[in-house]
Amino acid sequence: MKARSVVLWLAVGVPLLWGVMKTLQNAFKLFH
Amino acid sequence: MPASFLDRESTVAPLDYDRFLVPPAALAVHLSIGQAYAFSTFNLPLTKLIGISHSAPDDWKLTDVGWTFSIAIAILGLSAAVFGRWVERVGPRKSMFTAALCFGGGFIVAAVGIHFHELWLLYLGYGVLGGCGLGIGYISPVSTLIKWFPDRPGMATGMAIMGFGGGALIAAPLSVLLMEHFKTATSNGVLETFVTMGVIYFMFMMIGVYAVRVPATGWKPPGWIAPAKPRPLVTEAHVAVDVAWRTPQFWLLWGVLCMNVTAGIGVLGQASPMIQEIFSGRVTAAAAAGFVGLISLFNMGGRFVWATISDYIGRRNTYLVFFGLGILLYSSVPSLGHLGSIPLFVAAFAVILSMYGGGFATIPAYLRDIFGTMHVGAIHGRLLTAWSVAGVLGPVLVNYIRQYQIDSGVPKAQAYSVTMYIMCALLLVGLLCNLGMRPVGEKHHHLAATPTS
Repeated sequence: MKARSVVLWLAVGVPLLWGVMKTLQNAFKLFH
Repeated sequence: MPASFLDRESTVAPLDYDRFLVPPAALAVHLSIGQAYAFSTFNLPLTKLIGISHSAPDDWKLTDVGWTFSIAIAILGLSAAVFGRWVERVGPRKSMFTAALCFGGGFIVAAVGIHFHELWLLYLGYGVLGGCGLGIGYISPVSTLIKWFPDRPGMATGMAIMGFGGGALIAAPLSVLLMEHFKTATSNGVLETFVTMGVIYFMFMMIGVYAVRVPATGWKPPGWIAPAKPRPLVTEAHVAVDVAWRTPQFWLLWGVLCMNVTAGIGVLGQASPMIQEIFSGRVTAAAAAGFVGLISLFNMGGRFVWATISDYIGRRNTYLVFFGLGILLYSSVPSLGHLGSIPLFVAAFAVILSMYGGGFATIPAYLRDIFGTMHVGAIHGRLLTAWSVAGVLGPVLVNYIRQYQIDSGVPKAQAYSVTMYIMCALLLVGLLCNLGMRPVGEKHHHLAATPTS
């Protein structure tokens, strides 16, 4: 059950973190 | 795939099931359908399907393409209202599977429309079919999560609805990457990107279809005991959907959601030109895009944070903060513009947009508090018609008032001041609706309340 939980959270978490990172890269331009 | 796999009975979890496996299933669906907020990345490429590097005379016009998103959002609200009861009846797995078929299939039908250059097929595919996927997908995990997390319903639904905000953050760079990858001398890559995204989103939503479970009848979180004395405005009774929407409480909540969304969606749609015009010469287009990204992050984060806070301070108090603080912040925006303080201006809008997202994410738990869990998904579906109305009202108010101000000779930098005060008035209406909230009368309670698991 634990391994399944980790896999599921990674499956949704990794794409979300990638999107957040890309957005932050653009957002920093506001203050430069 | 056997039909029974999709039935509600097949999704009943064993008693020792880890309930934290359910939120990622909901997130898989919401992160996918949240792509809708990033549809604008296709707007310009869709006007260059024939000319490739420029718009040819026979290419679609931007105003025509723009209707695709509007149709999708309108159908989202309508389909959530129409299919809400069906979603409650068949359970989350079948409804998520239907949403995946509609949303993924919508991309494929739209791709056929792009191939044959038939605009109506784009509208039918992404707008109507995709819009049904949005509506059904949006409400499908909500009541399931509320039943899994009776101790923290705000946090649970906030987590899923956060995904809808986060979907755009993934879809925008993904769309650009795919279009670059598929670009050739004879194609700008939109057709191939639509087909690829249709397949990717269908498969990603299927993660949710396989992982979602409903709790067994009578299941409770280990160690959790329902409070002996219910909190104010939290019912243990149930109200049927056909009764709920005839109560004043439903329409007060409709007003709460509509006003909160109208105020937020109006500035979200105009955020880029607004910051450039208010701080003319100091904010470039690239920096303005960064501002839009930043407030989108707060829109997403606010969904989880505010909905979680609502579990501790109560739903009505949370909306009191949204409307009270919202009025304070919107009314201070003109002064912040005059002061020329970009950091304070950005901070004000970051908080405003966090409350916009928070309003979406807290409403399912508010509905659960007022109407019980029996038909909460279906009631939520009907309430989402407020979103459809706000989706038209907000941008129209901001755009037309700005244009009227400019036509009347007001400098562009000050053209948003009146708009901000009108937003304050809208929030005041929402505040009054929220203050008018009372428990539903016992005569409306469902007597033979046997909520499905």
